[in-house]
Amino acid sequence: MKWFWCLFFAFWPILAIAVCLVAPAYGWWFPGPAASPLGQRIDDLFYMILIITTLTFIGTQIGLAYVLFTGARRTDPDVQQKAWFSHGSHELEVIWSVAPAFILLFIALYQLDVWADYRVKDMFPHEEMEGLLAEGLHQKRDEHDNMHLAEVTARQFEWRIRYPGFDEDGNLLPLEREPQPTDLYDVNDLHLPASAPVMIMLKSQDVQHSFFLPELRVKQDAVPGLVIPIWFEATKKGEYALTCAELCGWGHYKMKARFVAESDEEFLEYLRELHRKQFFDGVVEAESEEEEDE
Amino acid sequence: MKPWSFLIFCSLALLHLTGCNSSPPQFSNRAEFDDLEPYAQEYVSEVLDSYFGTPTESVAWERLPVEYHFTETTVSSSPSPRKVTLDVAAGGHGSIGPGTEIHFASTNESNWITEWDAATGLATLERKPTQAIAEGEAVIVGPGAILKNGRHLYAQHCQHCHGVSGDGNGPTARYLNPLPRDYRNGRFKFTTTSYDFSPSRDDLGRVIREGIPGTYMPSFKLLKQEEMQAIVEYVRWLSMRGEIEKQLIETALADYTHEAVKLRVDGGASREEIEAEFYKRLADGEIQESLEVVVDLMVERWKGSDLAENMVQVATKRPPATPESIAHGRQLYLDVNNKCASCHGDAGFGDGPQNYAYTPGKPGPGLYDDWDNPIKPRNLHTGIYRGGRRPYDLFCRIRASVKGTPMPKFDTMKEEDVWDLVNYVYSIPYEEEVAGSGRLEEMVDSAESEIESAAESESNEVASR
Amino acid sequence: MSSATTTAPESGHGHHHHNPEDRLALLKQIWMFSTDHKVIGIQFLVTTLLMLMVGGALALGVRWQLAFPWENMPFFGLLFGSEGGQISPEAYTMLFTMHATVMIFLVIIPVLAGAFGNFLIPLMIGADDMAFPILNALSYWFMWPAIFCFGASFFFGGGPGNGWTSYPVLSAVPEAAPGSGTAQFFWLMGVTLVGVSSMMGSVNYMTTIINMRAPGMTLFRMPLTIWGMFITAILQAFALPVLTAAGFMLVSDRMLGTCFFIPSGLVINNGDPTVGGGQPLLWQHLFWFYSHPAVYIMLLPAMGMVSDMLACCCRKPIFGYKPMVYSMAAIAGLGFIVWGHHMFTSGMNPALGMTFMISTVMIALPSAVKVFNWIGTIWGGRPEFNTVFLNCVAFVSMFIVGGLSGIFMAAVPVDIYIHDTYFIVAHFHYVLFGATLFGVFGAVHFWFPKMFGRRMDETLGKWHFFLTFIGFNGTFFPMHLLGVAGMPRRYADPYLHPYLENLLPMNQFMTICACIMGFAQFILLFNFAYSLFKGQKAGMNPWLANGLEWVAPSPPGHGNFAAVPTVYRGPYEYSAPERDDDHWLQTEPPKSSPVPEPQKTEPTPDSAPVGEDTGSSS
Repeated sequence: MKWFWCLFFAFWPILAIAVCLVAPAYGWWFPGPAASPLGQRIDDLFYMILIITTLTFIGTQIGLAYVLFTGARRTDPDVQQKAWFSHGSHELEVIWSVAPAFILLFIALYQLDVWADYRVKDMFPHEEMEGLLAEGLHQKRDEHDNMHLAEVTARQFEWRIRYPGFDEDGNLLPLEREPQPTDLYDVNDLHLPASAPVMIMLKSQDVQHSFFLPELRVKQDAVPGLVIPIWFEATKKGEYALTCAELCGWGHYKMKARFVAESDEEFLEYLRELHRKQFFDGVVEAESEEEEDE
Repeated sequence: MKPWSFLIFCSLALLHLTGCNSSPPQFSNRAEFDDLEPYAQEYVSEVLDSYFGTPTESVAWERLPVEYHFTETTVSSSPSPRKVTLDVAAGGHGSIGPGTEIHFASTNESNWITEWDAATGLATLERKPTQAIAEGEAVIVGPGAILKNGRHLYAQHCQHCHGVSGDGNGPTARYLNPLPRDYRNGRFKFTTTSYDFSPSRDDLGRVIREGIPGTYMPSFKLLKQEEMQAIVEYVRWLSMRGEIEKQLIETALADYTHEAVKLRVDGGASREEIEAEFYKRLADGEIQESLEVVVDLMVERWKGSDLAENMVQVATKRPPATPESIAHGRQLYLDVNNKCASCHGDAGFGDGPQNYAYTPGKPGPGLYDDWDNPIKPRNLHTGIYRGGRRPYDLFCRIRASVKGTPMPKFDTMKEEDVWDLVNYVYSIPYEEEVAGSGRLEEMVDSAESEIESAAESESNEVASR
Repeated sequence: MSSATTTAPESGHGHHHHNPEDRLALLKQIWMFSTDHKVIGIQFLVTTLLMLMVGGALALGVRWQLAFPWENMPFFGLLFGSEGGQISPEAYTMLFTMHATVMIFLVIIPVLAGAFGNFLIPLMIGADDMAFPILNALSYWFMWPAIFCFGASFFFGGGPGNGWTSYPVLSAVPEAAPGSGTAQFFWLMGVTLVGVSSMMGSVNYMTTIINMRAPGMTLFRMPLTIWGMFITAILQAFALPVLTAAGFMLVSDRMLGTCFFIPSGLVINNGDPTVGGGQPLLWQHLFWFYSHPAVYIMLLPAMGMVSDMLACCCRKPIFGYKPMVYSMAAIAGLGFIVWGHHMFTSGMNPALGMTFMISTVMIALPSAVKVFNWIGTIWGGRPEFNTVFLNCVAFVSMFIVGGLSGIFMAAVPVDIYIHDTYFIVAHFHYVLFGATLFGVFGAVHFWFPKMFGRRMDETLGKWHFFLTFIGFNGTFFPMHLLGVAGMPRRYADPYLHPYLENLLPMNQFMTICACIMGFAQFILLFNFAYSLFKGQKAGMNPWLANGLEWVAPSPPGHGNFAAVPTVYRGPYEYSAPERDDDHWLQTEPPKSSPVPEPQKTEPTPDSAPVGEDTGSSS
């Protein structure tokens, strides 16, 4: 029986690794490759840690299996060896304290860059955002606090989105912190340009939510009472899932929305369409039909 | 032996609890149902059962203006015995695909599609039909499928608030403010149809798509078009079912409530007589007749709700929100004859005197909606527009009211006036000076100067020491 | 085992509450307000094992919903609001909230500190009872009001549905969620009462361990179990007041209209906008300041017990005793400065995030040292593959996974993605179930003979272990993959989201595994009950272990030891080359040692704790 248990403990790590190896083929892995530059760096870090931990996992489990097999051997009737009377080894202790310490410290320090780029305000890609505003959207905004293209307000259980509107000449206005009569509103449908980093303001109207773009590897809690700037950049145009990742009540799972990354022109066109819809006054029958059918 | 028998008892009880509670969902009856005499109750249940069935075994009653099937069409050609081309422009309903049922009217037999080409309408059938299919033969694609899909989607997304029977009383409902809509009297608050009509399909679709801001009705924007349609049809169906139940109880069977019967018994009739009379009227078709009237009216109304002529009509474009327009709007708002301020308050905070007034027949002070729930007039400062923030939406709210609430309809008001009111309502959240207080700026000014003079005199005092 | 027969010695205290032959004596007092630490320990043990079943049932409810969303849920569908055969989403939030609550506050913390801490501390350090016996009894009886509060919270307004972390504003405003009503109040009261219970325990443990050790029991001769308990008690004593204070702040936010956690201007459930200037993140800081150390409260005693059991099962001294002690202390110390890693995505100052990342990553170091030392302990031993040993090896093996997966979430950028996904769920189940509970299962089998004088059935024990292990890994290992696939926690219906649709079959597989695991726990309960009456009789020292508890009779009488034992060595001197016996009791005087008065330490001749097994052949 003891050999069975030795094999049992040796077998399960093999199974675990096998499951991990086949998982991507069945779609039990990342929802697609990271769709943002930052996400790619996060994935790289993930894989780096995965390699380190997998090696450690294999090493320790082999060690465990080895000591189990040799230990079991000692109790065989033909061997009947007494246990090794040892209180430990100073050298080994030092080795297996110092080596992991270096590895762990390396892991920690290696991460700092990405974290800083993602969260530290001074390191936000202001210049690229400014460029997008100037060239793509024909706006001049140079204050760092004024780069937002949308305000996302989480509420139970949906994402309410506010975009800047247009002035009388059809130029896009900057997004003010306070709502303006010209502002455009939408729900559960966040459209932003894909060409450059974009920044949004994240708010919560009631309880804590979390803004989660799985494909872009972006997550930020929407904390009631705070206005949190987040930036992200979609590498490809397309539709991405937007969900809530922080328990916000019974309808937590219902906060299903999408983030649509599109070209600058499409974004502007989308806002214009939103403008047309939002200021629809019921007069033009043809337009009304189209609107109702949408 | 004892512990073992106890153990067996416990495990049996556990099995019972875990395994045997899978009864299919049932529609519940409205509260008034309990007021009916048993034989009348039986009749109501019979009618509802035969025309609507149960949630899982639903009946597609063709008289109702509900789209039950993916499509009803004809066969345009049959290239081979197991292939038919259907006459569907642009592919027909989006949900048709492998597995969809197809029903041939002439032979009254069902078949299933195994391959579907949406572009040409070419369907490969699972088995060979018993008779060759003629051109022009009528078929129903996906009989009852929309209703079935609707129920599944409804159960997944809506049921825990709106309830199995659409009574707005699912388990989650009791925690919500405002309460979820009770569909069963055919009233829906936010519509673009005129006052007497039900919501159009587009109205229901818009509410599902955009949600109702300020309430727990979330936006289900990412549902597919077909899914949205299925839910809309199912909600309409539930609403009609509820209406028929309501009308049956309130009109057709009004003579057979406990109360009515008791009155007649007090007047000298015996219970047996009344029951016998009921059965006689039933046999004569009298009750059926009044049911028919109810159904006809209802069907007409729902059909009419989707017609363009029954939408709230706007002839002139919304004028720009000039200060004059807004001022005029405010004037209208404060006008005693329009009574806006009596509910929404002078300043639009939703705090008008009607909030504290008693209405006869209501359980307490304040305003109540048709569902007898207390209701508060909208605070117009929040910038939240439940029925939508388009000018047209606000126009409809004023023209056709918020249905089922004390908000009146202003269907005789001049259109320019309505627009001015709309412009004023839009301006309220951005007001610097709160309407109604009038003296606010003065007060602020005088307070500031007082503070200044007080500070001055203080510093003078300090200096003089 | 030797066949030497010795009757259990009389208790040293003269007044006997029971017949010494009565091996269920301790159990019979379970209904009483006993101040005997052993009775209290058993009271805790029985209570927590029952609560384990409750928590497990709740977990199965969660699993059911994830595998068969909106299908008729057995049992809970009947108990709690369901409509048309579906549970409501708030019932689902209640299920996972209460699962966590029951498992953490009513199972893991009390089974470690309450059950084994109580039973073992005086026995292992050679004391006759705890320092404050009445306080000790109170600490148990305060569990019951807590259980009552938690139980009551199920039935008020849909049950607490804010997760066990109870983040405000959701939990601070009664209207915010169905379960935020009265239920949340009862829940908070429950947590407070559990806290009172734990606090009484930890004060007692610290005092007892510092003051009541037997002669010769120096700090570094203490078994690692005692070290684990000691460090846990310290952790508990320093961290718990913060949670209690936070809990009261939350209660006062809810009931007295204060605004510690509620910022102004929120519109919740169509209510009037909130006023105040509170900060929801404050709760998270306070809560995690307790709850992160609480993770170690839920782990360190198990680490200690596993060390003891491994040494005994392998007949070998602990590999690196002092590093083990230091690493436990290091875990505890670092445990106080890592709480922020629960808040990486909450909007903390990013610089703080970096600091917390470094401290969090470093806490993996002592954990790693411990793992290496456990493997080192088995290395060169001669293990008997009994249920105890199997559970301990499972502990080590599972803890490796739990520890390694922790590194992912310690790294902030990676945590951005996996935070609040099933990866986290997988991680803490590997630590709290995979490690702690396997340790507890081992400990139950190991010390059961000391509690009741009988051994638990080996065959049943192995079956329980086998099924639990398979079920556990089948349930929780795939959760890592779910997490990587981005499946958020606490979703009643993840499959609404297209990118999660393909995870349904995997979730169904996990649910089947969870059912196997749930079934296996009935084997444990049966084995427990069966062995109480029919188990093979055990003598004083059925495992031929070295600790002081094994020189007391099984079960120990009131006062534990016939005479105050004297300790001559550490507890891990197994297989000393100069001896024939492979164990060497802590109380056995060295042959050549200059013992001043051996008589004093030598108990009465017939109860002499000599090395042999004091058998079971009667």
